[in-house]
Amino acid sequence: MFSSLKRRVDEVLLPGDEFSFEADDTISLTEPAKPEKAVCGPGLRRSGDRLVVCKSGVLRHKAPNVFWIDSQQRRYVPAKGESVIGIVTAKSGDVFKVDVGGSEQASLSYLAFEGATKRNRPNVQVGDLLFAQFIIANKDMEPELACIDSSGRANGMGVFGAGGLLFRVSLGLVRRLLAPQSEVRSDLETLFPCELVVGMNGRLWVKSSSIQQTLIIANLLQSCDTMTAQQRKQLFRKVQQGAL
Amino acid sequence: MAAGFKTAEPLEYHRSFLKENCRPDGRELSESRTTTLNIGSISTADGSALVKMGNTTIICGIKAELANPTVEAPGKGYIVPNVDLPPLCSSRFRPGPPGEQAQAASQFIADVIESSEVIKTEDLCIDRGKLCWVLYCDMMCLDYDGNILDACIIALLAALKNTQLPEVTINKETCAPEVNPEKRCGLHIHKHPVGASFCVFDDSILIVDPTAEEESLSTAQLTVVTDEEGRLCSLHKPGGTSLSGEKLQECISRATARQREIQKLIDKVIHSVKTAQ
Amino acid sequence: MTSSACDTASPRCSSMMEVCEASSVSLREFGCEQSLLSRPDGSSSFVQGDTSVMAGVYGPAEVKVSKEIYDRATLEVLVQPKVGLPSVRERSQEQCVRETCEASLLLSLHPRSALTLVLQVLHDDGSLLSCCLNAACMALMDAGLPMSCLFCGVTCAINTEGEIITDPTAAQEKESRALMTFAIDSTERRVMMSSTKGSFSVHELQQCIAVSQEASEKIFQFYRDSVKRRYSKTP
Repeated sequence: MFSSLKRRVDEVLLPGDEFSFEADDTISLTEPAKPEKAVCGPGLRRSGDRLVVCKSGVLRHKAPNVFWIDSQQRRYVPAKGESVIGIVTAKSGDVFKVDVGGSEQASLSYLAFEGATKRNRPNVQVGDLLFAQFIIANKDMEPELACIDSSGRANGMGVFGAGGLLFRVSLGLVRRLLAPQSEVRSDLETLFPCELVVGMNGRLWVKSSSIQQTLIIANLLQSCDTMTAQQRKQLFRKVQQGAL
Repeated sequence: MAAGFKTAEPLEYHRSFLKENCRPDGRELSESRTTTLNIGSISTADGSALVKMGNTTIICGIKAELANPTVEAPGKGYIVPNVDLPPLCSSRFRPGPPGEQAQAASQFIADVIESSEVIKTEDLCIDRGKLCWVLYCDMMCLDYDGNILDACIIALLAALKNTQLPEVTINKETCAPEVNPEKRCGLHIHKHPVGASFCVFDDSILIVDPTAEEESLSTAQLTVVTDEEGRLCSLHKPGGTSLSGEKLQECISRATARQREIQKLIDKVIHSVKTAQ
Repeated sequence: MTSSACDTASPRCSSMMEVCEASSVSLREFGCEQSLLSRPDGSSSFVQGDTSVMAGVYGPAEVKVSKEIYDRATLEVLVQPKVGLPSVRERSQEQCVRETCEASLLLSLHPRSALTLVLQVLHDDGSLLSCCLNAACMALMDAGLPMSCLFCGVTCAINTEGEIITDPTAAQEKESRALMTFAIDSTERRVMMSSTKGSFSVHELQQCIAVSQEASEKIFQFYRDSVKRRYSKTP
């Protein structure tokens, strides 16, 4: 099972591809037999005694036993713990309705802000941008956001200030930007200083010293989506030289 | 208790019956509902039939009208089938233009007529390029309890066999058609297509002649239409879970048996009507 | 591509047209492009010879209350003909495509949401329904919707000499005495959908199913190649 999964890491798989749990051919006599456990991420499902791929994409592996499918999806599906950029669309009683790009609007309690109490309501208007994380996200319930972490701190979340620009990129690029050693991010750092907020729902928010620079960064990131690393480096070098 | 179980867990309820190889209404898996047929029920139509399969009731009326043949096919008449699922027959249908199910059923009936050649459209031609018959076949569901396709085909076939077209002569001087309603003759029915519908439960169990409830719980539906020579006129499976070749073969042999039953039934009814007159 | 191309690179050109050559079971040349439209969540265009269909998928999105299903997603399929308004024929094609997609998609993973699949016929030169099915499958895959298996459409025509022609053109369809379209699933190669025209014997049916199953192997391989190509383009 493990070996068959590992053998196909970095391969493109299609829905319907299967991995079956097969007992190892050789049994080691010296080591105690350990039950194999694989942790399956997005795109992999267990069906009886087999593992079935349900999304097309590249199989990825993270040591020791995490596997998932990296797919180029464009529609965001909320997942618990993910940080997203949302737009407040309505105020209804004690909750705000927030559009996060999923199939349903998420709710956000007015108490889920740092320092908010029943008396001291946060200043949130319809149309405001928020950076928040999901505390409830499953298929059967309305997703719920919060702008505080488990210890009650804002931790970078909350309503965005004035200025800056919001735009959409693919979910794949967002994940690449957030990767620990992101090449796109390090390339971007060489250009100009800017403030960048990355929402897992494919929304990016940029603020830089001038509107012109902000727009350049937004355009660069949007076009990065489909470029190879080489093309991107070339483009960034051009921008640095002031060609654009 | 049973009623509560049925409402709360309809699928489990059905499964518990299927495990015992029977169905909630007492039938075996491969048993059709009692089919009753009445022909000539509508006196104003040129041909009509009423079919009841269990609770499912379909009435078919055929109205013949004179029309000009199309330019592409000057020697052919045409048949216009239409399936109507009015709100009367089930709460799942809303008033207004026909829904997807009704339209898909109409298309299916049209395909069956064309594929089986139950009537040759050439027979409907009166005067080549000038005059032909149009048969409007309206099938109306009065009570919806699943498997309307089978019932529609039986109703249509019986109504076509019941249809009496008046003799038409063309006046040589005025070139106007003259209809003689006194002298009527029947249509020439070339083939006798009959359908058999199946439902697939839990991807593997095949059941024949499903009710509305069984249809809504099933994972796939299948209709096989065969004629008296055992040829297939249609194998209609609009998606759903996949079926193996063996299962298909099972459906086909069941369909041919069903064809014989229904043809016998139609002949018997027609015969009894004739002797009664 | 030259280096200047990247300056103007359109954001959605991730997979180029590609072509599969026909061999023993003769199929016309295939072509497929994924995610070519910017607005839909998944899109594809599928070309079989001169028949061409474009597909777009939206969803999972918010659902109308009247169409909400509490335990699974609502799938709506729209078939737009090349000219005129959709008629009864398109409705029946919609039904076939919808029920096939419903069987392969894991709809219970997105309850109370709506999926919309729009199929625009660009040109019809025979085997239209199978081309619609193939375009639909590629678009659903592109949208990243969870699927239990893939499916493909194969059309077979039996001509007056009794020969079986796979993937017929419009002219061949017209001359044929029977026409069958099957949807075959990728895991067990079984028949998911069947739609037939004309009369035929049981033996002919079985032959056609066997031929379609053989042809499906090729189509699935083509799917795999084009998805691979698409993923190889992006870093």
